[in-house]
Amino acid sequence: MTSDEITNTKRKRRFWRPTRRQFLIGAGATGVVAAGGLYFGIPFARLQIAEVLDSGAGAPGGVDADPPLWFEIQPNNDILFHMTKVEMGQGIHTALKQIAAEELGAEWDQIKVVSAGTLRGPNDGFGTGGSSSVPTMYGPIREAAAAMREMLRLKAAEKLGVAAADISIANGIATASAGDNLTYGEIVADVTEWAELEETPVLKPQTEFEFIGKTRPRIDFESKLTGEAVYGFDARMDGMLYGAVVRPTHIEATFVSADISAAQDIDGVVDILVTDDFVGVVAESRYAAQKARDAIDVTWDTGKLWQQAELEALVSVGNGRATAIQREGSGAKALQSGKLISADYRSPMAAHAHLEPQSALVEVTPDLVTVHASTQSPSLVQGEVAEALGVEEDIVDVKALYLGGGFGRKLNNGSAVDAARLSAHVGRPVHVGWDRTEEFRNGYVRPLTHSKLTAKLGADGLIESMSHEQASGDVAFPFFPAIAASFLGADFGAWRGGRIQYDVPNRETVAWRTPMPLKTGWWRGLGLMCNTFAVECFIDEVAQVAGMDPLEFRLKHLGADEKTAQLKMVLQAAAEAADWGAPLPEGHAQGIALSTDVGTPCAQVAEISMENGRIRVHKVTAAIDPGLMINPDGVLAQTQGSIIMGLSSVFNEELIVKDGMITAENFNNYPLITMKETPEIDVVLLESTGIPKGMGEPPIGPIAAAVGNAYFALTGERLRRLPLRPTPPVADVAAAGDPTRGEEVYNQCIACHGDQGSQIPGLDYGLNDSEWLAKSSDTDIFDVIRNGRAGDHPDNISGINMPGFGQLSDQEIYDVVAYLRALP
Amino acid sequence: MKITINGEAINLDIDPETPLVWAIRDHLGLTGTKFGCGGGYCGACTVHVEGKATRSCITPLETVADKAITTIEGMPQNGELHPVQAAFLEHQVPQCSWCMVGQMMTAAAFLAENNTPTEAEIVNAMGSNYCRCGCYVRIKAAVTAAAETMQEAN
Repeated sequence: MTSDEITNTKRKRRFWRPTRRQFLIGAGATGVVAAGGLYFGIPFARLQIAEVLDSGAGAPGGVDADPPLWFEIQPNNDILFHMTKVEMGQGIHTALKQIAAEELGAEWDQIKVVSAGTLRGPNDGFGTGGSSSVPTMYGPIREAAAAMREMLRLKAAEKLGVAAADISIANGIATASAGDNLTYGEIVADVTEWAELEETPVLKPQTEFEFIGKTRPRIDFESKLTGEAVYGFDARMDGMLYGAVVRPTHIEATFVSADISAAQDIDGVVDILVTDDFVGVVAESRYAAQKARDAIDVTWDTGKLWQQAELEALVSVGNGRATAIQREGSGAKALQSGKLISADYRSPMAAHAHLEPQSALVEVTPDLVTVHASTQSPSLVQGEVAEALGVEEDIVDVKALYLGGGFGRKLNNGSAVDAARLSAHVGRPVHVGWDRTEEFRNGYVRPLTHSKLTAKLGADGLIESMSHEQASGDVAFPFFPAIAASFLGADFGAWRGGRIQYDVPNRETVAWRTPMPLKTGWWRGLGLMCNTFAVECFIDEVAQVAGMDPLEFRLKHLGADEKTAQLKMVLQAAAEAADWGAPLPEGHAQGIALSTDVGTPCAQVAEISMENGRIRVHKVTAAIDPGLMINPDGVLAQTQGSIIMGLSSVFNEELIVKDGMITAENFNNYPLITMKETPEIDVVLLESTGIPKGMGEPPIGPIAAAVGNAYFALTGERLRRLPLRPTPPVADVAAAGDPTRGEEVYNQCIACHGDQGSQIPGLDYGLNDSEWLAKSSDTDIFDVIRNGRAGDHPDNISGINMPGFGQLSDQEIYDVVAYLRALP
Repeated sequence: MKITINGEAINLDIDPETPLVWAIRDHLGLTGTKFGCGGGYCGACTVHVEGKATRSCITPLETVADKAITTIEGMPQNGELHPVQAAFLEHQVPQCSWCMVGQMMTAAAFLAENNTPTEAEIVNAMGSNYCRCGCYVRIKAAVTAAAETMQEAN
């Protein structure tokens, strides 16, 4: 079968396929709505939907089932496996090849993985994300591979003039009992049409698996380690040019006008495109394109100059729209009286910081638009490019190359639209690769969250009632039609990980939807890590009140049904591997936390100490149960990587908005974790079912809470904000600072606090005259500068949120405190 | 302007201020060297200039005139992977691998100077190269193993 025929088959199939938007909402969820919404009303339906989504069953599956769309057999006997899922580091090409190899009857090396394009190979409207690829593809790929094998058997039987039952298949060769044989390549040599199978092929039982469940070396590593692998940023085409696009400086900025006169004169500039919402340069070299872009003098209407404190006030429980996503027993009604335990938690905005900035090479011709891109969703990019160019989607061929990290950011790919517009303008292929500042300031970010937790203990010392109210900027809704938001109410990405998983008789989770004025969206695990941080640190707080060991307390709230019994097993496995409760070195402490996501529970124990006033994580012990593991070493790698990425958020990561701009412009003011802060990681892999569950995100869940709980165990201080920033290392903070240097650092405080501390927002006197400054200890002031102070904090005299300045070093804060102390 | 790249002398007639990373990738077509940040922070673009690990995104082309540059494409010798590459493969280090070329170039330059490193020396040498996928545990193991191979070879 030739490629053209595959394309034709595909095009024919397109007309009866559901459209992308219908598809994204997910058949599972809509099915529930149809029943629940009609008879029980919308709120009930929403609770049901949340239940379905939380279990991991909501991820859309649904892919083309035609085996010849997936497997293209070459005359030389190679089998091209047209892969719809993209390889962004998670190992999916290797894992899906293992699944296919199990049923294809071919040799491992015979199967060559190639990326399907939007006009070639099978269709996949969902893209790659949500830890859904293995769970949703495990069945379909096995079935397609088995069907392909059986179709080859039938053709071979026909050619050899024997019955199908007389043909045995192994290593890509069909052999008749008489000994005649044909390779797969020979079988397909003159095949132009495949007949559909009349019977569903029989799948291999798990006990006979040769490829699935065995660690295999990754198929992409050799080319990656020699530098030969081609990523979106590496795409090349004859005659290509380079593009660079002017970006808004402020989060609400709109374009007014551009003066391109200086830019036009720069050597190598081919053309500059200015429309009413787009200014881009095309040049012979990337350096010239970027130089010219920077020479364009653009006037922006900056819009509202948002401050961090205003954003935090916006994303607060009680704002926006509330939707109950969990209610059991009497829910929060049981928390109207009695001795209540409550606490607030917050998490900051964060960047994806994939190290390969998004990039695309696009060639626009009248009949065909070719896009080579690093994207998690070729079909979304196809739609975006078609819309930008005003052409039909079926002439837009998007080919996904390797991704240098995705983490949710590369579902959309703005660089493809940039490159398409510029290529259409100049009539040649154009490559656009974003720079780091564009990535920090012009993408979408993990939103702010705020959690308010309340619990009440019963006479038995266990939790009788518990509620979690969670506010967040949007995560999934920005990518859905507005109808989904109005129907679902709560953004399922924002509340992910927020439901109370313990056996608590009365429990309720409410999600407050608080859209933010900047673009927010998918990030690894969506809300999982930040919600788990709040819920699991709070469980520790309640255990403390109950006077019980955090592990023992958790275990007493697990095991009532099959689901929490699985959580219990995972928690126990982590505790046992970490020697929970055994004596630790002097100055060390452990913390434990548990989460479950897309059907995969994970528990972690962090062992920490303090070094130079900062948390040092020595060891993380994790237990995880993703069900059937396709490639166990891949499961291990995802767990290690999730823990390290999560620790980066625990230690450092925080995007701040000041005067309407995201302050981070490169890694100098948005540092990531390095090898220096990386702990030893010990992972226990559990496999309690024969069904594979999601694996790319679940292990990021518990890490922040595990470290926060360890910090409490060590110091008795509860940190309720990410990143975790302990109180300062020195007692006499002001003496450690230098007021002259502090004055320079203070420049970034002037907007709110005026020259020489002369203002406090909302009050008619300044910091310099405030009783607060006079009576606060240096350590308190340090803490407020570093961590901020919520508007509803009892010591906040203005009632307006003070944002934290975690990006400042200890020394810089000492200097500011010294400066404040020296104010006249 | 003349530079020597992977042993080959090449004349490059482009803006001498062009960052080396673009000269290597876009003008010479050696896309094994990656771009990450443009500010010298992440290390994805690390190449060797006269054997020293150098961040090519903040190195203007004119500063390496007449100097010997090695990129990942020049690391294998006689068809064999460099011991650092071999160790990264053996230990299945990467995930997305965008940073890995820079990691390996940093490690190779470091081990050429010190092939009996302590763990602390490895962490210090590798501690300014970012890996967003979080492969640090395996990077450390592979660099340790590569040091052993390089000791044996001496």
